Amino acid sequence: MICRRCRDWITERYDVDALRRLLRTKYVPSHRYEISYFTGGLTLFLFVVQFLTGMGLALYYVPHSEHAYKSIVDIMTKLRMGWFFRSLHHWGAQLAIASLFVHFFANLLLKAYRKPRELLWVTGFIMITVLVFFGLSGYFLIWDERAFTAIRVATGGAGSLPLIGAPVKIFLRGGIDVTQETLTRFYAFHVSVLPMISLVIIGLHVLLVQVHGMSVPLSQKNRQKEAQPFFPNVFYKDLIVWLLCAGVLVTLAVVFPAAIGTKADPMAPAPENIKPEWYFLFLFQTLKLFPGEIAGLNGEMIAVTVISLGVLFAFLMPFFDRRSSAGRPSPVFTYAAVFYLVYFVVMTVIGFLN
Amino acid sequence: MKLDYSLISRRAFLNTLFGGWLIAVLSGGIYAFLKFIFPTVGKEPDFVVLNRADFLDIPGNTVKTFAWGGKPGFFLKRTDGTMLALKGVCTHMECNISYMPDAKKFYCACHKGWFDDNGRNIEGPPPRPLESFDIITAGEKLVIAKKGVKVDLPKV
Repeated sequence: MICRRCRDWITERYDVDALRRLLRTKYVPSHRYEISYFTGGLTLFLFVVQFLTGMGLALYYVPHSEHAYKSIVDIMTKLRMGWFFRSLHHWGAQLAIASLFVHFFANLLLKAYRKPRELLWVTGFIMITVLVFFGLSGYFLIWDERAFTAIRVATGGAGSLPLIGAPVKIFLRGGIDVTQETLTRFYAFHVSVLPMISLVIIGLHVLLVQVHGMSVPLSQKNRQKEAQPFFPNVFYKDLIVWLLCAGVLVTLAVVFPAAIGTKADPMAPAPENIKPEWYFLFLFQTLKLFPGEIAGLNGEMIAVTVISLGVLFAFLMPFFDRRSSAGRPSPVFTYAAVFYLVYFVVMTVIGFLN
Repeated sequence: MKLDYSLISRRAFLNTLFGGWLIAVLSGGIYAFLKFIFPTVGKEPDFVVLNRADFLDIPGNTVKTFAWGGKPGFFLKRTDGTMLALKGVCTHMECNISYMPDAKKFYCACHKGWFDDNGRNIEGPPPRPLESFDIITAGEKLVIAKKGVKVDLPKV
């Protein structure tokens, strides 16, 4: 009774049934690659986990070089369930990045970027950059030796970009060195700038998905099964995926709680066998391929330029791949997509084993 | 007042006014904002002043660290008593390096770069030798200065 009156009250002020009708008319295509549709929803779910756990951690974290390390140790040892939520945040980040990479490669291989979905590709690509930067900035906040050295290398590497390198490096560091100013900046990026950008970009991305519907791969155009209603069929499948993911996440957090090394000391030598986070390993390995000097030019700058061009090409893929937009097969771009995937996987594995 | 003939319509006038207003505010605002978010950059020191006794008397084949701005500087005394001061930061990716007394070399753990005891890059990815400094002794003080920097000793 109360419920009904509440519903009437709201309906008089907002046409809720319109949303319901929308939900009822939303159909999802069904074919042999339909599993790729769940990667986006999974990434979104992990983002929500990151937002929630991050808000909790922000209540206790102290963004100051003198206290940051100690505040993390306190979260892990003194606060009730602190270890759990920090571990969730740590593992949630790993899974979110993994899930976004799977989402990216699935859509690259299935050419989901075809006209009219170029803006979906563009917004998605921006989200990868944002997420990687989320990872980098979050990693630095713990202020241990490893994080300190990693950020020096990463911001120094950004300094090797042609033309914009020097100002980008200064902007990221907040000065010439990695110091307290850098910590303040990365904290601001991590808890304010990047979340805001994410909300806008994810909102646009999800909105565009509603406008265009799910992309059907060219090869499956004539082999589709009957489309399924989003609600409840696909929605419940989404829930199953999220539940499984939540199980994996909690297991990882409990069995392998997030670690912290020794407190950073700007004067101490870099720790032995330092490795970047796994999602940077393919870049790290690529850098290693280039010698210090090529034909009298700085090898690092050439390496960073080559990597940037590779990323730029992937970013502009929908605008180069005209054939698939016209509905014809474009094997060259399939090979390019396979090359990107194989390169990423092989370099990551090599970096991991080294 | 209504004009019978005018060079521009009211709409064009208003569009120009608001467009110009927008451009002016945005360009001024963005310029100021960029100025604000890019930090005023300090620079590395031209020289640092240390206590002579703390450094000259260290045993041979050891290194003593001093602060070169926010980065480590190394004061090396070789086995034969000669001395060298250099910046303890790898020229490859700016990791802090360490001295390996057994090998008499400097080592960067990040990407396995090696420098000899003159600071020359001899193995691994480092593209340049380490930056070495001038060592000047003045009374009780030891001045470590950037190469080519004139240090006004009496003022020190």
